[in-house]
Amino acid sequence: MNALVPLPDSIPVTWGWFQFFLMLTFPLHLFFMNAVLGTTAVAAYSHLRGDDLSRDLAHELAKVIPLLIALAVNFGVAPLLFVQVLYGNFLYTSSILIGMFWIMIVPLLLASYYATYWYDFRFFSLGRKGVLLLLFAWLIFLVIGFVFSNNMTLMLSPDAWTAYLGNSSGTLLNTSDTTLWPRYLHFMVGGSAIGGLFVALYGRYLGRTNSLLGVRAETLGLKLFLILSVAQIIVGVWFLLSLPRAQMLLFMGRDLPASSIFCAALVLIVVALIGAWRRRLYLTAISAAGLVILMVFMRDFVRRGYLGNIFSLKALEVRSDYSPLVFFLVTLVIGLALVIWMLRAAWCSSRS
Amino acid sequence: MDYPVWFLPGIGGGFFIALIAIVHVFVSHFAVGGGLYLVWTERKGLRENNLRILEFTRRHTGFFMLLTMVFGGITGVGIWFIISLVNPAATSKLIHLFVYGWAAEWVWFLVEIIALLVYYYTFGRMDSTRHQIVGWIYAAAAWLSLFLINGIIDFMLTPGQWLENGRFWSGFFNPTFWPALFFRSFFAFMLAGLYGFVNSVRIADAETRRTMARYNGKWSLGFLALLLPSAWWYLQALPQPARELVLGASPTIRAAIPWAIAGLAGVISLTVLLTLARPTSKSLPLALATLIPAFFMMGSFEWTREAARRPFVINQYMYSTGVTLARAEALKGQSYLANTRFASVRQVKDDNLSVAGAELFKFQCYACHTIGGLNNDILQRTSAMDYKGMVNYLLKVMHKRPYMPPFLGTEKEAQALAAYLIGDLQGKPVDLASLETTTSPGQELYEENCVGCHGLDIIRDWTRGQSVDEVVVGLGSLSELNESMENFAGSIEQKRQLALFLKGGGAGGLQAKAVLEENCTGCHGLETIREWSSSLSKKKILEGIGRLGALNPMMEGISLEPDQLQSVAEWLKTSAKGGAK
Repeated sequence: MNALVPLPDSIPVTWGWFQFFLMLTFPLHLFFMNAVLGTTAVAAYSHLRGDDLSRDLAHELAKVIPLLIALAVNFGVAPLLFVQVLYGNFLYTSSILIGMFWIMIVPLLLASYYATYWYDFRFFSLGRKGVLLLLFAWLIFLVIGFVFSNNMTLMLSPDAWTAYLGNSSGTLLNTSDTTLWPRYLHFMVGGSAIGGLFVALYGRYLGRTNSLLGVRAETLGLKLFLILSVAQIIVGVWFLLSLPRAQMLLFMGRDLPASSIFCAALVLIVVALIGAWRRRLYLTAISAAGLVILMVFMRDFVRRGYLGNIFSLKALEVRSDYSPLVFFLVTLVIGLALVIWMLRAAWCSSRS
Repeated sequence: MDYPVWFLPGIGGGFFIALIAIVHVFVSHFAVGGGLYLVWTERKGLRENNLRILEFTRRHTGFFMLLTMVFGGITGVGIWFIISLVNPAATSKLIHLFVYGWAAEWVWFLVEIIALLVYYYTFGRMDSTRHQIVGWIYAAAAWLSLFLINGIIDFMLTPGQWLENGRFWSGFFNPTFWPALFFRSFFAFMLAGLYGFVNSVRIADAETRRTMARYNGKWSLGFLALLLPSAWWYLQALPQPARELVLGASPTIRAAIPWAIAGLAGVISLTVLLTLARPTSKSLPLALATLIPAFFMMGSFEWTREAARRPFVINQYMYSTGVTLARAEALKGQSYLANTRFASVRQVKDDNLSVAGAELFKFQCYACHTIGGLNNDILQRTSAMDYKGMVNYLLKVMHKRPYMPPFLGTEKEAQALAAYLIGDLQGKPVDLASLETTTSPGQELYEENCVGCHGLDIIRDWTRGQSVDEVVVGLGSLSELNESMENFAGSIEQKRQLALFLKGGGAGGLQAKAVLEENCTGCHGLETIREWSSSLSKKKILEGIGRLGALNPMMEGISLEPDQLQSVAEWLKTSAKGGAK
């Protein structure tokens, strides 16, 4: 084990539970995070186009962006919790090394969150200037993504932690890591593509009351998805090639589950692209959602590949205490039931 | 010592925690209490069939959403970020031990978000019964969030049976869980009424404004009346020594008490003013001003709770430095640096004392001390010490201080840390040879027992006018002077030795230096005084320092006591001969 890696704390139930919750909740965060990225981009673009229909679309999208942020943050909390349980000794360390940037996420996110509310609540009075707020928020989202990419790559590279010995003020970044930029672009480009798809789906909903607006949203969203997905293929190949050879080969036959998932992802990419080309929205959406889930699994293979020589989840000490897990599961069931009931009630009231 | 330290010596990690935590706590308690407030106020509007009250509720919900969901939600995540940066070892422990508590809290956070969004966006569009149910769901979810977080926060203060059995539920339902839950709940509800003023003063119709002002007043003062006994219960539930500390033994906590009292008085008087004297006031500044004393109350409470567990971050389990008691025990006699993963120096040698000392400061002191910052400035705390005294303090005294963790490391490491603190930071000489010299028994006792809290100047103020015998008696009853001091428990002989030293026997130089540091070094260095006195006789020096205004009009008004004059003049004469440093 690398001498710099702190000792992990014990866990109350076997690691598989946390892995399960991590893999369950992280895609949900990605869906909302992607939706925030794509929706903000499409709203800004529509606002800049300036024709009436585009402005109407920007206004409609403005209403959902803050809600998407709220959910992206909420669904970010759960995977961040579970990843800390499994890999906390790596994540805390890398967070400290980039501490100044890491903590800046908080005020930045706050500023962007308020900017999107301001844009929504003052849409008409702000006029054309409003788009500046949106672009400001969008830029912040890109910056936050960059900080996350730095942290997530740095936590996997204990060898790079020695940089701390020369700088303990939390102003380090992991820019010397060759995977950083392709990884970051992979997230941002792919995320925006999925976000485009969200706009298209939302357009289907808007189309119930305003068909012109619905068609515009669907067309724009699908176009964004299509263009960025093609770009994503290039970025994706770059990312794959930038990985250390051992990690790359995991997907090239060295590891059967990893390679199978990679192949399945390739199939889904093709299906999603064809679907988008033929404007088969639901087919595209389902394929893309599946793709996001597979990507989460691939990401996990890469992480384990990186840490394989120095850390194993199986080695985590378990001090059994299962009753809190039961308590959580009961809470989750009750919570989800309440959420479903409230969403149904809201849906019914919006139709009446 | 397992994790790196995010080192910002002039600011301190604690400052960021305090900054994010206090504003978050103030908003998140509103988020908890506001749920009940909103749905109860909607109910009032519906029962009275008062559209203006309903419109007020709708508007207040919008304000509530923007403040609690956005600011409260993000700063809540912010606390998590900052504590993991500042105290990763403790955060890791809390996350791993209470993971399913946090996870359950996340569920209620999700329910809160959905409920609040639905409540706000369907106001007036959903049938009122269902809408109120959504409001009640929000209120319950918000309170359950508090229920969960309360268990974890109070675990840090009173881990209770968990220390023995390590079980989740023992830690969660710890000795202060219930009183803290009631205290925080009532505070949250009270706060909701105060926040209510912020929007009720903006109601256009005077009569509705009056109605809502009185409603807010009754609400706030009613819950305030419940808050006070719950605070008392909370206090009674604290184990020793936390209760002693809260009751005034801790100077840090004593500093917070006037703020809490002023806050309480402010809340009562401003609420009464807005409710009875000016119920139709449209003054938003007045409404906002009501929140300020409440902020002081909350801040003082959180400050006190944090300070009451010092020097631990998890009471009786882990020090603020992130080292557990068990680890500290195992490290006795061992090198600290050699066991610190991210230390850039692993071994102390004579030629790296300062660098090694700086590393020791980062990993052992910085958790609580800044260098020249607002919080617990090490420059101030060590200003009265010299090198030898500092080494002595680290090795023999520090562990006796109630809110300091023990120094961990070898004797050589203590010398290195002292070299950094006294040499690099204070600019005083670091003389390793001085460690070999013998100190008078009285001075040794002084360094072991007194110097950590105050310099000689303060003690001299106390001893002035007392005979040695009276000082001996006084040393045995120090707690009567100040509750935070323990009575000196040495033998009669030791008391006498200490009293003699404190009265000046054999320590004239130290006294004189203290006098000069207290009175002069704020404007000029000791060197300036030495230069002035070097060619003067003792008599001339006495004349000069006896009429400082004549030397320089800027010093008009500075006067020294006769015994101070004598000791300073004597010391300056010795110093000029190169005898004293």
